[in-house]
Amino acid sequence: MTVDRSGAGDLAEFRRSLDAWLDAQAPALAPAFEGAGTLDDQMAQLAKVKRLAFDAGWMRAGWPERVGGLGGSTLTRAYLGEALTARDLVEPGLYSMTEVLAPTMIDYAAPELAAAMVPALLSGDETWCQGFSEPDTGSNLAALACRAERSDRGWRVNGQKVWTSLAQFADRCVLLTRTGTVESAHRGITALFVDMDSPGITVRPIGTMHGSPEFSELFLDDVVVPFSRTLGEEGGGWAVAMDLLPYERSTSLWHRAAFLHRRLGELLESAPPSALDPARLGEVTQLLYAFRARSRATQHRMADGDRLGPETSIDKVLLATTEQAVFDLVADALAAEVTVGDDPVSGRWRSEYLYSRAASIYGGSAEIQRNIIARRLLDLGDDR
Amino acid sequence: MDADDLALFERSLRDATGRATGGALDAALDDLGLDDALADDERSAVSLLFGLQGEACVTSSALSLVMARALGRSDGWATVLPVVGDSVPPGTIDGDHLHVDGLAPSGLVGRTAALVVASTGAGRTVACTVPTTSLELRPVIGVDPDLGLLRVTGDVDGAVERADLPDGAWGAAIAHGRLAVAHELVGCARAMLDLACEHARGRIQFDRPIASFQAVRHRLAETLVAVAMAEAMLDAAWLDPGPEASTMAKAVAGRQARTAARHCQQVLAGIGFTVEHPFHRYVRRTLVLDALLGTTASLTTSLGTSLLRDGRLPPLLPL
Repeated sequence: MTVDRSGAGDLAEFRRSLDAWLDAQAPALAPAFEGAGTLDDQMAQLAKVKRLAFDAGWMRAGWPERVGGLGGSTLTRAYLGEALTARDLVEPGLYSMTEVLAPTMIDYAAPELAAAMVPALLSGDETWCQGFSEPDTGSNLAALACRAERSDRGWRVNGQKVWTSLAQFADRCVLLTRTGTVESAHRGITALFVDMDSPGITVRPIGTMHGSPEFSELFLDDVVVPFSRTLGEEGGGWAVAMDLLPYERSTSLWHRAAFLHRRLGELLESAPPSALDPARLGEVTQLLYAFRARSRATQHRMADGDRLGPETSIDKVLLATTEQAVFDLVADALAAEVTVGDDPVSGRWRSEYLYSRAASIYGGSAEIQRNIIARRLLDLGDDR
Repeated sequence: MDADDLALFERSLRDATGRATGGALDAALDDLGLDDALADDERSAVSLLFGLQGEACVTSSALSLVMARALGRSDGWATVLPVVGDSVPPGTIDGDHLHVDGLAPSGLVGRTAALVVASTGAGRTVACTVPTTSLELRPVIGVDPDLGLLRVTGDVDGAVERADLPDGAWGAAIAHGRLAVAHELVGCARAMLDLACEHARGRIQFDRPIASFQAVRHRLAETLVAVAMAEAMLDAAWLDPGPEASTMAKAVAGRQARTAARHCQQVLAGIGFTVEHPFHRYVRRTLVLDALLGTTASLTTSLGTSLLRDGRLPPLLPL
């Protein structure tokens, strides 16, 4: 059987073929753990699934041929993540890191660097992380201070990052550094692609409320990075960051919608009917379907070649609102499981409820998204 | 319709909704070929017309026409709508007796006959053509007198022209009607957002436009999110043949339009509470449209009830 895995033809055909492959490979793809598993379990599962999907060609669909992809519509990537998430084969937040970081490399790395590196990310051989936030620079990203200075061996980097997701697993890091003066604000930032095994890098995972230490502090002490690892122009790091952030609010959110749909369906199957108020259940379902409809439109815009921008802040606000509404419903309908259940299924509901609290914080807080909407989409001028 | 036709049609609609309402708008819509446009490209025609009708806060009999088309009827300008909050047929038939209790746009006054869908005791629905002289048409004042709705009541004995409707025809009429009303609600919400943004940019307090205060900006941002959410759900509903989608789109549009009204009223503050500013007209319109063909609250509760009964979520529109 020949299968068009590029998705360049018919998305429906891609969907049918992928679904058939997922059915046939179900035993090989299934996780070896019960419930949510530990973060180590989830990372091992992610690498396994990506490897199998890459070798079968699915993980290459929708990516440019020059980085080892098969070309074709980006909708195939959206559907692959949706299908893997709907079948509970990957943790969507971990899976979606690829959707955030690979486009950045494709757009900003030297072509030979992108060609050498991106296949390792797609195949699950490598994990990458994103070093943006700093202890004193959260929402105000343009004030970042992690310093990179020219030396005869390359960039010499000193500073600290925080909330760096998966840094303790990562082989590489897309790192934002200060190469201009602090006063240069967003103009003096340069993005670097850093090997995480470079001398001088220390990673300290941070314990989190939901029990999965998925982000870390990152200390950089005289870390040398070759000039060839500069992403974009020197002083052009702000553009790299601004182009990356809409990706964080597009395909990743489509995968997240698939996750929320699965979990709301499972809630409906497992909660005693008397525990669910019809009006609230109806409203949460409407919210989820509307969020998904918004995200669907964004996937199609991206596939049509539109440049994603500030309008993706609406998608992010909707995700946060929806995710928290779904899990507020969970916390009420499955109160015993969430609060005192000690079995794996209860532990998973609890962990996901707690993680939902972060949805309005990570990737640009709800307040930052509303600031973007007010300034860029409603033309309300500056806020001072 | 191709892009040029669409642009021309939109200009004509914008012009018509900008200068006429009620019977005069019906005449203008008839002149510019609304019936053909609906036959040619229903989605574009409905979304443009009802969006603009909401933005301009005007009214027409187009909802009757849209519902009639879904019934397979071409004589639709005078279709009687269900009473507010309801979605059952406005007529009931018992033997030779037809009881009518419904609503109609103001344009029904000028028509000789009304199209009344009625349910029979045997569980069928029929379309009855009833002379308007045998019905009582009473203007509804209520919260939004400008909407010009008529309460249509009557008890008609003896033969009226009846045609059997296929199964599901009334459900389809309600589904199409809900999409239309949802577009009108989104139009109202957009207009309220525009009014509030304009006010926030121009109103100076503490030597700054109030648009520079985050408490104000975030309310307006929240309103744009509400509008975008309702629009996205509507886009999906047009692609999704399932009956749940149009109902969800109506409920989401109603809730989000009321959210828009709440935020924008707060930003407009004192001036928005007066009749010297147009804002109050949109608040009124939103309340009635939210109730027309089922309130957000009732549609939401009945969705939840059916989910609990079925134990599973409705199908998803595929990517």
